Amino acid sequence: MRQEWLGLAVIAVLGFIIMASLRPAFLTPFNLFVLLSTFALAALIALGQMITLAVGQLNLSLGSIGGLVAVSFAGMMDVWHWSAAPSFVAGLALGALAGALNGILIAQFQLSAFIVTLATLAMFKGLNLALTKAQPFYDIDKIVSTFGNASLIGPIPAVLIPTVIATAVVAYILYRLPAGRQILAVGGNSSASELSGISIKRAIVTAHVMSGVLAGLAGMVAVARLQLGQPTIGEDWLISSFAAPVIGGVALTGGHVSIVGTLLAVVIVALITQGLVLFTIDPFYVQLVLGGLILLAVGLNSLRSLLPVGYSLP
Amino acid sequence: MAVGPSSRRQPNEEASTALGLTLLIALAFVVFSWAAAGFSSPYNLYALTRTAALNVLLGLAMMVVIATGGLDLSIGAIGIASAMFAGYLMQDFRLHMMIAIVAALCFGGALGFCNGFVVVFARVHSFIVTLASMSIIFGAMIVLTKAESVRDLPPAFLALGKIRWFGYLSPMLMVSVAIGALIAIMLRWTDLGREILASGANSRAATLSGVRVGNRIITVHALSGILAAIAGIMLSIRNGAMVPSMAGNLGQEWLLPAFLAPVLGGTLLSGGRAWVVTTVLAAFLVTELTNGMLLMSIGEFWVQFALGSVLLLAVLLEKGRSTLMGTVEGV
Repeated sequence: MRQEWLGLAVIAVLGFIIMASLRPAFLTPFNLFVLLSTFALAALIALGQMITLAVGQLNLSLGSIGGLVAVSFAGMMDVWHWSAAPSFVAGLALGALAGALNGILIAQFQLSAFIVTLATLAMFKGLNLALTKAQPFYDIDKIVSTFGNASLIGPIPAVLIPTVIATAVVAYILYRLPAGRQILAVGGNSSASELSGISIKRAIVTAHVMSGVLAGLAGMVAVARLQLGQPTIGEDWLISSFAAPVIGGVALTGGHVSIVGTLLAVVIVALITQGLVLFTIDPFYVQLVLGGLILLAVGLNSLRSLLPVGYSLP
Repeated sequence: MAVGPSSRRQPNEEASTALGLTLLIALAFVVFSWAAAGFSSPYNLYALTRTAALNVLLGLAMMVVIATGGLDLSIGAIGIASAMFAGYLMQDFRLHMMIAIVAALCFGGALGFCNGFVVVFARVHSFIVTLASMSIIFGAMIVLTKAESVRDLPPAFLALGKIRWFGYLSPMLMVSVAIGALIAIMLRWTDLGREILASGANSRAATLSGVRVGNRIITVHALSGILAAIAGIMLSIRNGAMVPSMAGNLGQEWLLPAFLAPVLGGTLLSGGRAWVVTTVLAAFLVTELTNGMLLMSIGEFWVQFALGSVLLLAVLLEKGRSTLMGTVEGV
C-alpha cells in the first residue's frame, strides 16, 4: 500500500512531459505560475474534503463555507476597514465555527452527515448572499491583492505558501497527533474505536472543524487570487473537492487517506484543465472529464477488490 | 433500521405525519394570507400550485431512490438535459410535442438506468456515482448545446403553460399528484414496490428471500430519471423555453427541494420506508413557505437560509421522535 500513489505520479509526470513537448507555451513562466496558483487553491479544497472522508463522512457545505468566509474576509477589510491580519484570523475562526456547527449537529444528534451538510450548504449560502446582496466586496487590503499575484522565485506563486503550510499541518495531525490517529481509527471502524476508548463525537467534530478551516483558508486564497470578495466563490467546488481524494485513493468508507495521492490527483486535474485551455478545447469538457475520472477511479477500486489476493492493477 | 416493531406501527405513523403536515399547511396558509399581501390572490395560488407541481416531482424522484437506501444527486442534471433534448427535437427536427416529451422521458429514464447500472455493477455507493454522473451529464449537455437556450418552440407546447383551472389551479399539479398516486399504489400494492422497499430495509434479507436487489436499484434509478425528466419539461413549460441554467450549475438548485420533501415527509434515509402522501404534502408545505416568505419580501437569500434550517429541524425532529418512541418501547 506504500506505493499506491506511484501510478498517479507516473501519470502526472507523463502528462507534464506530453504537454511540454506538444505545446511549448506550457513551459512559459507565466503558464507555470497560473498552473501552480490553480494547484494551490484546488489542493486546499481537496484536503478539506479528504479530512471528512477520513472520518467516514462527507462535507457538502465545503464550498458554501469557503464562499461565506471569503466574503466575510473581504467585507471586514472593505466595510470595517480592518487590516489583513485580523481579518485573516477572523476568517479562519469563522471557518472553524462553521465546521464545528456541522460536526456538533452530526455527532451530538447522530444525524446523517449528508443531510446536515446539505442543510448548512443552503444556510451558509443564504448568509453569504444576504451579507453581500450578491455584490462583490472590492476594497480589500493591498497586502492581500499583492500576495495573490506575487511570485516567490520565478514561476512559484506566493499563494502556494498557505497550501504548503496547511498540507504539513494536516499531515502532522493525521500521522503524528492522537487527534488525527483517532479520526482515522473512527473512520476505519467506529465501533472498534469506541470500544478502545476513543470518543467518536470528538473525532467527528475535529474532522469537521479541520474541514471548515481548510475551506475558509481556500476561500481567502480565492479572494487573494481574484482580488475581490466575489459571492460566487465556492459554487463550483463540489465535484472537484470529491474528485481529487477519490482519484488519489482515499477510501470513501473512511479510515484511509493518502495525502500524496490526493495532491497528485489535484496536479493531474490541474494539468487536464490547463491542457484543455492550451489545446483550445471547450473548457466545459472539464466537467465531463472530472466526472469520468471519478467513475474510473471508483471502478478501478472495485475491480481491484474483485481480483484474487496478490494480483494488482497498474 | 426501523424494521421490526416499527413497521407494524407504520400506517399510524404515516397518518399522524400526514395530519401534522396538513395542519402546518393550513396554519401557514392562514398566517401568510394575513401577513403577506396578495398571497391568497388567484394568480398567486396559480403560481404556487405550478411551483408545487415541480417540487412534488423532485421529492418523488428522490424518494424512490431513498426507498432503496440510495440517493440521486444527478436529478437536476438529468432533468435539464432531458428538457434540452425535448427542446431540440421540437426546434430542430420539428417533431410533434407529444413525441418530443415521450422521447425526453425515455432519455431521462435511460440516464437514470445508467446510474443504477453503475451503482450495481461497480458496487459503489450511489452518492459517488451520481455525483460523477451529475458532472458528466451536465457537462455533456453544456458542450452539446453550447449553453444556448431553446426558444423556438411550437405554440401548442407554450400554450400548456397558460392553462388555468378555476382561475387558481395549475393542471401541472394534478399531473404530479396523479404520478404520486401511481407511485403510492406501486409501492403499497405491487410486488415491484414491496421488493423495492424490502431491498432498502435489508438488502441481505431481501436477496435471501429471492428479491433481485440489483434489478430493483436499477429500477428506482430509472424511475427517478423519468420523474426528473418530467420535472425538467414542466419547468420549461413554465419558462416558455429550455434554459440550460434553469436549475443552476450542475442542476444543484434542485437538490434542496428534492431532499426536503421526503425528509420532512418521514422517509427514512437508510431506506425501507417511503411515504408518498406525506412527501407530496411536504413538497406542498415547502412551496407554500417559500412563496409566502418571498411575498413578505424577506429576501430570496433569507428564504434559502430558512429552507436549510427547515431541513435541519426536520431531521432533528425525526431523531427526537424515534428516540422518544424507542424509550417508550423500552419501558
